[in-house]
Amino acid sequence: MNLAQILALILFIAMFVLIVMDKIERHYVTMACGVLTLAGVFGLAMRSTDAIMETLNVKSIFTVGFWYAAGTAEESTAGINWATIIFIAGMMVMVEGMAESGFFRWLCMKLAKLVHYKPIPLFITFMLMSAFLAMFIDSITVILFLAAVTIELAKLLKFDPVPMILSEIFCANLGGSATMCGDPPNIIIGTSLGYSFADFITNTGAIAAISLVLVVIYYFFVFRKELAGEKLSQADVDAMPDPKEAITNKTAFAISCLIFLCAVVLLVTHAQTGLTVAFIGTVIAAITLLVAGTKAVKLLKKVDYKTLLFFVGLFMVVGGLEQTGILEIIAGFIGNVSHGNLKLMVAIILWVSAIASAFVDNIPFAATMIPVIKSLAATQGVDLSTLAWALSMGTDIGGSATPIGASANVVGTSVATKNGYIIGWGKYCKSAAPATVIVILVSMVFIFIRYC
Amino acid sequence: MAKQTIISISREFGSGGHEIAEKIAQHLGLKFYDRSMLDEIANKLNVKVEVLEKYDEAPRNFLMTRRVGNHTNSMAEILAEYQFDFIRDKAASGESFVIVGRCSETVLKNHDCLISIFVNGDREHKLARVKEKYQLSESEAVAKMLRHDKKRKLYHNRHSDYKWGDSRYYDLCINSSPLGVDKTAHVLECYIQDRMAAMK
Repeated sequence: MNLAQILALILFIAMFVLIVMDKIERHYVTMACGVLTLAGVFGLAMRSTDAIMETLNVKSIFTVGFWYAAGTAEESTAGINWATIIFIAGMMVMVEGMAESGFFRWLCMKLAKLVHYKPIPLFITFMLMSAFLAMFIDSITVILFLAAVTIELAKLLKFDPVPMILSEIFCANLGGSATMCGDPPNIIIGTSLGYSFADFITNTGAIAAISLVLVVIYYFFVFRKELAGEKLSQADVDAMPDPKEAITNKTAFAISCLIFLCAVVLLVTHAQTGLTVAFIGTVIAAITLLVAGTKAVKLLKKVDYKTLLFFVGLFMVVGGLEQTGILEIIAGFIGNVSHGNLKLMVAIILWVSAIASAFVDNIPFAATMIPVIKSLAATQGVDLSTLAWALSMGTDIGGSATPIGASANVVGTSVATKNGYIIGWGKYCKSAAPATVIVILVSMVFIFIRYC
Repeated sequence: MAKQTIISISREFGSGGHEIAEKIAQHLGLKFYDRSMLDEIANKLNVKVEVLEKYDEAPRNFLMTRRVGNHTNSMAEILAEYQFDFIRDKAASGESFVIVGRCSETVLKNHDCLISIFVNGDREHKLARVKEKYQLSESEAVAKMLRHDKKRKLYHNRHSDYKWGDSRYYDLCINSSPLGVDKTAHVLECYIQDRMAAMK
C-alpha cells in the first residue's frame, strides 16, 4: 500500500468512527475528512490536481447531460454526486411545503377514518401507506408524521402504538427500497450507475412488492394479540379529530398535492422524457418556492443543509478511496473469494451490506460499495445491474434490523420513546430482525432465479 | 418578594454534595430538586419511575443509539432533555430552588440568579463515606466511586461545552473533606446569602 492509500483509508475509518461516536455533528465530520482527503491524499501524497477536480466534480453540473439525458439514463463520474445532492435538496423543499400545508396529518387521519379506526385495518393500512409514501418521500418524514399520528390515535383509542410504529418503520424502509428516489442509497446507486426509476421499480420494486405481502402477514401474526383492542363505540368514533382540521391552508394543500403528483409523474417517466433527477429536483423545488410566495424563505430555512453537507463530505472521502485504488483492492478480494461465481458474489454483497447496514449508516456504506461493484463487474465480467440490486436491497433492508440501522428507525423509536413508549433493542429486534432476514432471503432467491 | 435564586450543586461521588445541597435548601427554605424530579417526568410519560432511574445522569451509549437531526433513540438523552426542560420550566416560573447535578449549571447559565457550586473531596474521605453509607468493602467502594464519577463526567461533558468540575466555569468549587458536610454547608450558606444580598 502506498502513502496515498494509507491516508485515504485512515481518513475513511476516522470518518466512520467519528460518525458512530456522534461527539461531533456528522456533517462536520464528513466535511473535515473530505477536505483532508483533498489536501492530504490528493494534494500531498498524490500531487494530483486532476484527482481533486475529478472528485469535486463541479464541471459535471455545467454539462447538458447532467440535466437532460435523452435516450440514456444519466451517469455521474467519480467524486461528489451532485445529482443526488440536488435531487435530495429539491425533495426536501417539496416535503417541507407539503408538511406546512398539513398534507401528511390529513392523509393519516383520513385513512384512519376510512377504516373506522379499527385497530387491525388501521395497522394494515398504515403499513401500506408507510411503504407507498416512502417510495417517493424520504422515510424520515414519513415516519415522523405516521408515528406522531399513530401515538395520537393510540391515546384516543387506547391501544399500544408500539406494534404499529415498528411495522410502519419496517415498511418505510421496504417502500424506500422499491424506487430510485425512495432511499438515499438508491438515489446514489441510480445516479452513479445510470439506472432509471423504471429500472428500480421493475427490479427492487418487484422484490419489495413480494416482500411487502409477506411482511404484512408476518407483522400481523407477530402482533395480532396486541392489536385485539377494545371495541369502539360510536361516541369514541365521533370524538376523533376531523381530518379536515389537519389542513392549515386549503389552497396550499391543493397545490402541494399537485406538486407531489407532478414529482411522481416526472420521476416515473424520467427515462422516457430524458429529464434527470437533478432536473426534477430543481424544478419541483422551484415550483414549490414560487407558489409558497412569501413563505419561500421559511421553507428554504427548513431545508436540512447539514444532511446535504454530510453528503458532499462523504463523497469526497469515498472519492479518496476510489482514486487511490483501495476500492479496487476490495473488489478484487470479493472476486477472489467468489471465484467469479455470480451467485456467491450476490450473496456476499447482499448479506455483507445487510449486516453492515444494520449497525452503521447505510449511506456511506452504499457510496463506498458502488465503485466496488463497478470494478467487480468490470473485472469478473458479470452483470453490473445484478450486483446493484443486491447492494440496494442489502443496504436498504439491512438497516431495518436494529434501532440504529436506518434514519427512519431512529426517528420512529425516538418519537415513541419521547411519548413514554420506550422501544429498546430487545423490543425492536424481536420483530424487526426476523422480518429483515425474511426480506433478505426473498431478495436473494429473487435475484438468483431472475438473473443468475 | 425575595428575588429568585437558583443554586446548582454539582458533586463528586462520595463528596457529600447531595447532603450539603439538601441542608442548604432546608436552611434557606428553598425547594430541593434531585432524582425526585423523575417522579414528575415518569408521571407525565406514564411510565414507572424505576424505568427512568437507570438512565438518570447517564451518558449515551454511542454504540447502541444514534441521533438523526434533533431525534435520538437514546433513552438517556431523551430523559436528559426532559430534565433540562423541567429545570428550565422551574426557572422560568420564578421559583427559587436548589438543584443537584443534571447539568443544571449549563442549562441555566444565562440566568443571572444562578449560583453554581462544585463540591469535591479527598479520595480517602470520599472512600470512607461511600464504604459507610453503602456498607461496602474497600474495593467495592473504589469501583462504585469510579463508576459513578465516570458516568457523571461523561454525562456532563456530553451536554456541556466545558469539562465537569473545571473550576473556571463554576462560581465556587469547594473541597468538603477538611470541614465535613455540616460546616461546608454552613460556609456555602454564608456565600449564598452574600450573593443573594448582592443580587437585590
